[in-house]
Amino acid sequence: MTPIRLTRRHFLISAAATYGATMLGGLAHAKGSVTAAMYPGTWEDAFRAHVVPILKKTHDVDLEMTPLFAVDQIAKAQAARGAPPFDAFVLDPGPRVTGIERGLFDKFDAKRLTNLAKLPAGAADESGVTVAAQVVGIGYNPKKLPRPKSWTDLLKDPWVSSLGMTGFQTTYGTVSIIEIAKQFGGSETNVEPFFVEIKKVLSKVAAIGAPASMPSLFQQGQCDITYTNTQTVATLRGRGVDIEFVKPQSGAVAFFTTMHIAKGSKEIENAYKYFDTVVSAPVQSALMQPPNNFIPVNRDVKLAADLPMTSLDEMAKFVRHDWSKINPLRAGWIERFNKEVAK
Amino acid sequence: MTPAARAGVSSPWRPPAVMRPAEWQLALPLAVAYAAFFLVPLGLLIVVSAFDDEKITTVGFAQWRKFLGDPFYWKVILDTVKLGFFTVVATALIGYPLALVYLGAGPRWQRVILFVVILPLLTSVVVRTFAWIVILGREGVINQSLLWLGLVPAPLRLLQTEHGLVIALTQIEMPLLLLPLLSVMSRMDPNLRDASAGLGASKWRTLFRITLPLSLPGLVAGCMLVFASSTTAFISQFVIGGNRLVYLPLLIWQQSLVVYNWPLAAVTALTLLVSVGLGVAAIAAVGRRRRAYA
Repeated sequence: MTPIRLTRRHFLISAAATYGATMLGGLAHAKGSVTAAMYPGTWEDAFRAHVVPILKKTHDVDLEMTPLFAVDQIAKAQAARGAPPFDAFVLDPGPRVTGIERGLFDKFDAKRLTNLAKLPAGAADESGVTVAAQVVGIGYNPKKLPRPKSWTDLLKDPWVSSLGMTGFQTTYGTVSIIEIAKQFGGSETNVEPFFVEIKKVLSKVAAIGAPASMPSLFQQGQCDITYTNTQTVATLRGRGVDIEFVKPQSGAVAFFTTMHIAKGSKEIENAYKYFDTVVSAPVQSALMQPPNNFIPVNRDVKLAADLPMTSLDEMAKFVRHDWSKINPLRAGWIERFNKEVAK
Repeated sequence: MTPAARAGVSSPWRPPAVMRPAEWQLALPLAVAYAAFFLVPLGLLIVVSAFDDEKITTVGFAQWRKFLGDPFYWKVILDTVKLGFFTVVATALIGYPLALVYLGAGPRWQRVILFVVILPLLTSVVVRTFAWIVILGREGVINQSLLWLGLVPAPLRLLQTEHGLVIALTQIEMPLLLLPLLSVMSRMDPNLRDASAGLGASKWRTLFRITLPLSLPGLVAGCMLVFASSTTAFISQFVIGGNRLVYLPLLIWQQSLVVYNWPLAAVTALTLLVSVGLGVAAIAAVGRRRRAYA
């Protein structure tokens, strides 16, 4: 067998050929791709199943996902200083306000979305577009507890000794605590009454956990009642857990999940195509089905029967919060929560 | 003095270490990586901690004063060190007897023990941590068994308690203690223990005067790893401890990723670094002392 002799010339020729081939590969994907930050878990799975194939089919754009929670996206984008590690954010209202304040988003032109007319009024602004709604209320196990009526029931017997809580780290945790505080005379900017009341029953509370562990704690029977969103309730029910969603007397809380283009992104065109695909009726409808259980924002989608409202317009009556007022106070609340509930 | 010289054997002349470039050059890639990915970020951390405000504009030590002037944070530091201490004690008390079994076992059983020790490392720490929710929960394996045996009238609270967390960390960190310990044990000369027995020493005397001192370097190395790993085990601490148990890693996460107060996060991170460093140094010092006795 003759040994292969690689001269410098041969090497350069083959290297050039390889490089050229790679470029050709690039041409085949001329429409390119978009890198989107994505909530890990349900969101990532649902987007992989429903958004990736449709975006590829209709716009020939590849969707790459970076699994990150909202707060992590803001921290990463801020640390990257103008060279964002992804093109599109997906955020809850609190981090959205932080992103606007810190100038992390590209100016958004809602008119570039073909589905704009199908979205409720105010769903898009110059920072981004609403892609899903979340409704927060009480989730409880009907086999073990009587049905709670209001937020204050959470701190009363028999519910309190089965209560699972999270702190101010998450959006749903923060708004739920604000709502509890309101029932005791507090407000959006004053959660003092919550701290007064929780102190009285703290030793009875079944679990004060990490947000990510709450579904597991509920599934394992460590807690049988908690504040949560409809999506988590539907997902747990899908796994055979006994859990029911209750709209508290004072009203369920609604907030919206929005998407934004990262300032400095080079894939702006593809980001708009991505957003447009996400809010399109077929995708929104698919995302609403189990096991995804999203609340859609496209008017053409008929709402699922187990949602606590029959139309999107009804959500206008739900409790809403102003996160530009909440954000500056949150650090203090988190510190207070640590000190009050730590053993 | 080189070992050869100590043994009284004349060794061929070799150039002094500084003149042999090939050897230290081997460490260069690691040294460069270490400088770029550890020392530079560490420097940044120190710089960031010396700012007063979240936007990192005003230089000052307000965050240090806030952190060190608050008894709550001192308690968090103490709790973090205490957690590491308890985990080290528990892993050492459970792990050392297993190491003795390993020492007395034949080659085949030694391989089995080693495999069982390494087995947990093959699953992710996240999976192991969530498995502990199933075990420690109110309707978990432990409580169900205790109730079934009639040992307790109502389920015990194990999740979100310090002892529950120590139990879980003991299992999670066990391989870190055992691997260095077993490697030292397997190199131990079995004749020494036979000689001790032949000279009339009891099993206990042999254990305390021969086996323990000889295995001490492995035990100390294992304890240091367990201490450093358990005090910084954010996932296990947060998932099993919840918000009821606050440790330094939770504060770092809250300040850096939820509140975006990076100076305070940097202060907390440096505090964790120093307290873990001191803990590890203390274990090393205890190890040196014991060896001097032996």
